[in-house]
Amino acid sequence: MTAAAATIPGRKRGAGSNADALLGMLLVAPIVLVMAALVFFPLADTFWDSLHRVNPMQPGTPFIGLANYTNMLTDNEANTSWFNTFLYVVIAVSVETVVGIAGAALLNQVKVGRRWLLAAIILPWALPGVVNATIWLWIYQPGAGLLNGILVAFGLPFDNHVWFNDKTSAIIAVVVVHIWRMLPLTIVIVLAAMQSIPGELYEAARIDGANRLSMFGSITLPLVRSAIAIAMTNSTVAAFNFFDEAWVLAGSSLDTRPILVQIYLEAFQNLHFSYGMAMSLVVTLVSLAVSLVYVVRVYRNTRLE
Amino acid sequence: MKQQSLPFRLLIWLGIAVLLVWSLGPIYWTLASAVTPTADFSDRPIHFVPTHVTLDHFARLLGINVSRIGGVQVWAQFRAALVNSVVASVAATIICVGISALGGYAFTRLVFPGRRWIFFAVVATLAVPGYAVLIPLYRLMSSLHLIDTFVCVTLIYVSAFLPLSLWLLRSVFESLPVSIEEAAQLDGAGRLYILFRIVMPLAAPGLTAAAILTFLGAWGQYAVPLIFSPTRTKPLTVLIPEFATKNFIDYGLITAAGSIAIIIPALVVIFLNRYLISGLLAGSAK
Repeated sequence: MTAAAATIPGRKRGAGSNADALLGMLLVAPIVLVMAALVFFPLADTFWDSLHRVNPMQPGTPFIGLANYTNMLTDNEANTSWFNTFLYVVIAVSVETVVGIAGAALLNQVKVGRRWLLAAIILPWALPGVVNATIWLWIYQPGAGLLNGILVAFGLPFDNHVWFNDKTSAIIAVVVVHIWRMLPLTIVIVLAAMQSIPGELYEAARIDGANRLSMFGSITLPLVRSAIAIAMTNSTVAAFNFFDEAWVLAGSSLDTRPILVQIYLEAFQNLHFSYGMAMSLVVTLVSLAVSLVYVVRVYRNTRLE
Repeated sequence: MKQQSLPFRLLIWLGIAVLLVWSLGPIYWTLASAVTPTADFSDRPIHFVPTHVTLDHFARLLGINVSRIGGVQVWAQFRAALVNSVVASVAATIICVGISALGGYAFTRLVFPGRRWIFFAVVATLAVPGYAVLIPLYRLMSSLHLIDTFVCVTLIYVSAFLPLSLWLLRSVFESLPVSIEEAAQLDGAGRLYILFRIVMPLAAPGLTAAAILTFLGAWGQYAVPLIFSPTRTKPLTVLIPEFATKNFIDYGLITAAGSIAIIIPALVVIFLNRYLISGLLAGSAK
């Protein structure tokens, strides 16, 4: 409870607080309506229907228990998509975290024009994911693309090299586009935490004879730990929810197909509605569980110290 | 402050330069390609800086020099998609920020039954990927005959961005001093007068931040309009990849369309950068 909530009704007893309560409910009503109709009801529906067979091409919606969930285990396409998604999560989260911290540390050293630098660096995040994907599709283009152009300029044999023919290079090509969009968010979050560290701490460490590297390890990193956890949670949820760039860059190709593309194909092309619902619930739970790991770790660390 | 040694400063600026090339390089390449004549695309080695400059692709895209591609006029499609993107994103931004401002105020300053758990339940949905509800939403919207209408996509965007906006605005309202409101109340001002005449103007930077985040989010949406706005209300994000994946592949047109789709988010980032970053930080400080 905030102090405001405690004092105002205390002072305005009787009719006033009743009127406030009524006004409060009125002001919140639109939010409750929108969220109930478009989030909570569909979420409950997703859970309920995932236990039934829902397919517009087949009559009736019989109860099938956990069949949708057990079928997932033997579904080869779903398993490949899960594997791809885990690759994306591991690559994207580790690159974004490491490079994001390094980028934030760099920007933290800059004193002039930081606002403009930050604007330039955040731009990829602000662009629509599909626009980013088309930009990169053109960069990866075998003939006139920038990537092969640069490699050829360095004398490497990449003329007309097709990046999407090989699973490894296709996965990397796709995840690079995702990282390009999500890295700025990590930089901004970690940089803000670095800027709130009081300068005296560094002064004291310098007097004790610490060099830059040991100051970074013993002062900066521990103090931005919770910001790093927030950034990692963001990166993880974004990587599990990866759809736009993968779909535009490689369509339904199984080599790069993340789990959300698999859900989209199952639900809206094969019309296996309830199977898609079961998969989307599993994605939700898995991404929540993975995020929770970071949050709990940071919470414990900050609690014990 | 401390004096930085020259090699150290060089290292920092080298790192910054790498970051800038990484962030802006692809955007530069898009803009450069958009003004490159189609014939030059087949030159090898490729030109990193366009040798000839043409506005032909923009002219074709904007219908100045009407071209028909795949039997369809590009400009009519492009203009419709641009209008659709603007309408859906602006409507979603106004509704989302409007109702979350009213609600955010109520959650901060008014006591009513259920206020704690309603707030918690709404903000908790930040952790639920939107995709988990797309299938039931599709059935709901098609039973209401709302597929391919602005009402449908706008409402979905509102429900998707409302938790973040509400979270951000509540923290903004909490940071405003209660004393001003109490003073106004003593002078006999009503709740609504206080809300609209005193609190809202003070919260303007926060409202701007919430509006920017909602607008950019709605502007960039792809999966939702792909399912819910397939034809009449099709936005730019759904149209542009079509240029790239249809049987004709016209990179001049794609990069020109991409350049135009970049403009609006770029303007937002350049001019509203301060609010954007404060909003991002408030929104991420869960």
